[in-house]
Order: sequence, then structure tokens, then C-alpha cells
Amino acid sequence: MAAALLVFLWSVLVAWRVPAVLRRFTGTGVSARLGIAVWLTAMVCVLASAGIALASLIQAAVAGWSHAAQAICRSVAGDACTSVIYRSALFEAGLGVAAALASCAALVLAWRYGRRLHQAQRQTRAHAEVAHLAGRHQGAGPGTVVLDVPERAVYCVPPGIIVVTAGALSILAPAQLEAVLAHERAHLAGRHHLLVALTRALAAVFPAVPLFACGLGEVERLAEMRADDAAAQRAGRRPLIEALLAMGTGAAVRAVPAPALGAASYAVVARVERLLEPPRRVSRLRCELALGAALVGLPLLSAVVVAFS
Amino acid sequence: MRGFGELEAVIMQLVWDHGGPVTVRELFDELQRERTIAYTTVMSTMDNLHRKGWLERVKEGKAYRYAATASREEYSARLMREALADGGANTEAVLSHFVATMDGEDSELLRAVVRRLGGQS
Repeated sequence: MAAALLVFLWSVLVAWRVPAVLRRFTGTGVSARLGIAVWLTAMVCVLASAGIALASLIQAAVAGWSHAAQAICRSVAGDACTSVIYRSALFEAGLGVAAALASCAALVLAWRYGRRLHQAQRQTRAHAEVAHLAGRHQGAGPGTVVLDVPERAVYCVPPGIIVVTAGALSILAPAQLEAVLAHERAHLAGRHHLLVALTRALAAVFPAVPLFACGLGEVERLAEMRADDAAAQRAGRRPLIEALLAMGTGAAVRAVPAPALGAASYAVVARVERLLEPPRRVSRLRCELALGAALVGLPLLSAVVVAFS
Repeated sequence: MRGFGELEAVIMQLVWDHGGPVTVRELFDELQRERTIAYTTVMSTMDNLHRKGWLERVKEGKAYRYAATASREEYSARLMREALADGGANTEAVLSHFVATMDGEDSELLRAVVRRLGGQS
């Protein structure tokens, strides 16, 4: 009973306290991949701890049940002090009710999570099929379809379609388009949609849990930066920055010169800034060390808490 | 394209390009000019598209005449509504945008960045 409570408190502690700390290190987008791994690890630790807490609560209730039944038999036979026995029977009954309620809640949450995931998968597939059948397969490269609409948008849909609108094509120079496509291909190759779907459903089912609520935003942001890194490597930093600015402002951008950007918080601006001025080696190393420590430390601490309670 | 029929896409393009209702035979003749393909393959693919709601058909003599249930533009507009999440399109599809949809203010902020960088925008 005490063990279940302790493990549950640990998962609450991680879910409420860890996001602010993690954000300090993943906010700058240093080692996006490591950052994603740490956020996901924290989420898994919270879910696993809560699950173990529930299991040990059920175990305590089941173990207590036979004890209580025995006690009641003895009291009926009249060979024990009844008031003590009734008090302990009441306690066991309360434990049983708590375990039953917690199990029901867990089942409902798990079912909702599964339904969310299923729905997302179905709608994604439907979207992909429409894109596949209604888009033009010539004009922007393999695996890419063009939609004849004025809106500007480029996005990818699993299992592997990149959608480019005519509006986007009209403002992107060939090298910029190549960078955009490299970015989207990195999303598909890295299976980012899977990570996003899993965390998005988690945030939808537990909107009040800070780790899941802000973890979604962080995972999405880091996935963008990871894809930016891959695209910069494949197609060049410059065309990628130009493409970001062009798609963001809706006007063609030619030849962005050397950096000099002020601080800005907006996501796309932050992405441009990060590409223009990669973090210095020392701060990068410090971030990576902290993230690495979190990646190992969180599961280790969780295991210790479970083992000792 | 993984998981989707390539022929289905080709046939939908042909039906849209054709304009009016079309028979399997007519499409088969068109397709045969660019690839070797069996008549039954074309027929079963069109039957699939009909079953999935992409094509509607009316019986004419012994054969069916097929037409698209909606224009390519309508499908494209629907995709945009879902992708840009406007017009109350409620979808949970997981799409990874290159640049997130922004409002006028954010866009203005970026324009200022471009100006500061000296790019011609």
C-alpha cells in the first residue's frame, strides 16, 4: 500500500517537475534527436511508474482480501477481538474499492488513448489516399504530389507522400524546393509522425499533466529542428533558410546574406536563427551532457524508487 | 507510393481529364497506348474506385459508364481545409508541415527578418 503510494508520488513528481528542467536544455534545439529521446523517456517513466503503482495497489488489495476474509471468519467464530477485526476489514474493503476504481480509471484512459491513436491513423490514411489520387504526380520529384491550389503549403503524410501546393511552388526556387523536400523526407525517414501521433494522443488524454501537455509541443518543435538539420546537411543551409523565409512570408526570397539576427521567439524565426548561428561548442557540449544524464538518470531513478518501495 | 495503388491514381487522372462519363473499354484503349495492361485489371481497379466512392457509374447496355463523384479541385480544396485546419475541418490526421500556419502578425515578424537580412522580398 505504502509502496504503491510512493511509486505513484514519484510519477507525479516527474510529470509535474521535470518539464521545466528539460525545457531549459532542449529549448535551444541543441541535439534535437537527444532532446526527443529524453522527452519520450520521461513520458515512458511516468507511465511505467503509474502502471507499477497501480499493479502494486491491486496486489495489496488482493493480498489483503484473504486476510480480511480470514479475520471475519474468526470473528464470526467468536475467538478474536471484534472491533479490531472490523477496523481492519474496513481498511481492506477501502483498499479494494480504491484498487477497483483506479483500475477502471486506467482502463478508460487506455481505451481513450487507443481510440485517439486509431482515429488519427485512420484520418491520416484517408488524407494520404486523397492526396495520392487527386494530386498530380509530376512536377516536384518522386514521392511528391502537386495540388493545384493557390494556398502555399508543403507537408508530408505517412506512409510516404509529400504534398506541395502550386502556391508554394510559385515562390520557391529549385534549390529551395530541394531543401524543403529534404526536410520533409527527413520527417518521413525519422518516422516523426509516429512520435507526434503517440505524444499527441497522450496530451489529448491527459491535458492537465504538464509533462504530456508541453512534451507534445517540445517533441514537435525538436522534430522540426531535427528535420532542418538533415535538410541543411543534404541541400545546404542557405537554401533552407531562404525557403523558410519564403514560405513564412509568402514572397519569394533570393540570396539571404550573412547573419545578424536579433533575438526572436517565434518558432520559424527561432529555426532560422538556429540555422544561421549554430550554438557554440562549449554550450553544446554542456547541453548534451545534461540531456545524456537525464536520459540515463530518469529510468535509473525510477527503477530505484520501484525497487526500494 | 507505398500502400496505394499506382494504377488507381492514373485512372482517376484519366477520368478527370476525360471530362464526361467514360467506359472501361475507352480507358483501357487509352491506357494501352502507354503501357501493357490487361482489360480485367482496368475493370477491377475501376470497380474498386467505385466501391470506395471515387467513381459513380450508370449502366448503359451491357457496360457501365463511370464518372468522378467530385472534381479534382474539390478534393484539393478538401485537403487544404484539413491541412490548414480552417473552415472548421476537424481532422486528427498527422501532417508534418514545413512551416506552420501563421497569422498576419507572425508573418510580418518574419518579413522584418528578411528586410534586416537584406534579402529581396
